[in-house]
Amino acid sequence: MTVVGLRLGLLALFLAIWEIAGRKVNPLLGVPPSAVLPSLRDLLLLRSYPDLPASLWLTIREIGTAYALAVAAGLGCGFVLGMHRLVGRAWGPMLAALYAVPAVVWYPSLMLFFGLDAASKIAFGFLLGFFPIALAVLAGIRQVNPQLVVVARAYGAGTATVFRRVMLPAMLFTLVGGLRTGLALCVIGVVVGEILGSKAGMGALINHAYGLLRTGDYVALVLVTLVLVVGSDVLASLLERRARRWTE
Amino acid sequence: MRVRILQIVTVIAALGVWEVVARMGWVDPLFVPAPSAVAPALLKIGRGALAGLADTLGKTAVAYVLSVVLGVSAGVAVGSIRLLREVLSPYVIAFYGIPKILVLPWIVLLLGYGTTPAVFYGVLHGFFPIMVLVMGAVRDVDRTLVAVARSLGATTWQLYWKVLLPAIVPSVLGGMRLGVVFCLLGVLVVEMFAGVRGMGHVLGSYANGFQAPELFAATALVSAASIAIVLALDHLNDRLSRWRG
Repeated sequence: MTVVGLRLGLLALFLAIWEIAGRKVNPLLGVPPSAVLPSLRDLLLLRSYPDLPASLWLTIREIGTAYALAVAAGLGCGFVLGMHRLVGRAWGPMLAALYAVPAVVWYPSLMLFFGLDAASKIAFGFLLGFFPIALAVLAGIRQVNPQLVVVARAYGAGTATVFRRVMLPAMLFTLVGGLRTGLALCVIGVVVGEILGSKAGMGALINHAYGLLRTGDYVALVLVTLVLVVGSDVLASLLERRARRWTE
Repeated sequence: MRVRILQIVTVIAALGVWEVVARMGWVDPLFVPAPSAVAPALLKIGRGALAGLADTLGKTAVAYVLSVVLGVSAGVAVGSIRLLREVLSPYVIAFYGIPKILVLPWIVLLLGYGTTPAVFYGVLHGFFPIMVLVMGAVRDVDRTLVAVARSLGATTWQLYWKVLLPAIVPSVLGGMRLGVVFCLLGVLVVEMFAGVRGMGHVLGSYANGFQAPELFAATALVSAASIAIVLALDHLNDRLSRWRG
C-alpha cells in the first residue's frame, strides 16, 4: 500500500516539477502538462488533426504487415538453421553478428529502395522484428532434449507428432518470448521509420507538429502513439501468458 | 573447419548472386548497386566517411562511459535498497520499454543540433538496459552470502565492496556488451534526424542524394565498425571470465 502511494506521489512530484520548470524555461519548449491537456482534447476531438484516425490506421497496418512478414521469415529461417546442425553452426553466429549492428544503419538504404511510402517502414519493422524471432527459434530448438525425440520416434511418432508433442512444448517458452520481443521491435521499427522520413502515419503527424513548433500537439500525438505501443505489448503479454499456461 | 568454409562460401555466394542480379538489370542500379560498384565507392568516400565515423564513435564513447557509470551506480543503488526498488522499478521498466524515438524531437528542441543531443540520446538508450540488468543482479545476490557477511561483522561498505560487486560482475559485463550497441544506435538516430556531422548524417545525405554506391559503402563501414567493437568486447569478456575462473 505504501509502495503504491509512494509511486503515485513520485509521479505527482515529477509532473509538478515539470509544470514549474516547463513554464519557467519557455512554455513552448518546456510543454508543461497543463498545456498538453487542451491539445490532447483538441486532438481527440479531431479538431487539430482531422486525419488522426487515418494516420493511426495506416501505422497499425504497417505494424501488422511488418510483423506478419517477420514472424513468417523468422520462424522459417530459425527452423532451417535449427534443424540442420552444420548450417546452424555456420549461419547462427553470422546472424548474431548482424544483430550486433545497430539496425538504423540500414534505414537510409531501405528508404532509397522502397521510397517514402509505407513499404520502407514495413521493411524496417520487418528487419527489426525478424532477428529476435529467428534467434528465439534457434535457442528454443537447442533446448529440446534430443533423447526425447529419439524415444518418441522409436515409439513410432511421425514428424508432425514429434513436433507437436515433444518439440513445441519444450521450446514454447523461449519461442513465445521471442515473438513478443519481435512485436515490440516491429512497432519501434515502424515508428522510427515514420519519424525519420515519411508522408503519412503517426510519425508524419509528430514531425509536422514538431516542425511547426506546435509542441502541445506534439506531446498529445506522442501520448496517442504510446497508447498504441503499450496496447500492442499488453496484447502480446496476454497471448504469452495463455501460451505458457498451455504448456503446463 | 567445415563451419568456417561454409561461412566463407555463403558470403561469396551472396555477393555473387547480388552481383549477377545487379548486372542483369533485375534491380535498378540507381537503388541497388553491384558489389563491384560499391568497392570503388568505399575508396572514394574514404576520408570524409572516416571523419564522420570518428565523430560518431567519439560521441558514442562519451555516451557509453556515461551510460555504464550511471547505469551501474543506479542499478546498485536501486537494486540494493528494497523500498527504492519497489517504488521505482515500474518506472524504470516503462522508460526502458517505450520507443525513445518519440521524445527525440523534444530533445532536439531543447538541446539543439550538434553533439549534446546525440550524447544525451545515446545515454538514454544505453543507460536503461544496463541499469535493469544490474538491478536484477543485485536483487538476486545470494541472501546467505549477505547474512553470513553481516553476522561476521562486515560493515555496509565491506558488504558492497566484497560481496555485492564481485557477485554482479557477469551482469555488468553483459550490460556493457548490450549497452554499446544501444549507445551507437542512439547516436546514429540523432545524426540522421538532426545531425550536421557524423556517420548518421553521412548516410542520410547519400540517401537523399541518390548516391547508392556511396551509401552502401558507408553502411558497410559502420556495420563493420560496430561488429568489430562487439567482437572485441566479447573477447574481453571471455578473457575476464577465464581470469575469474
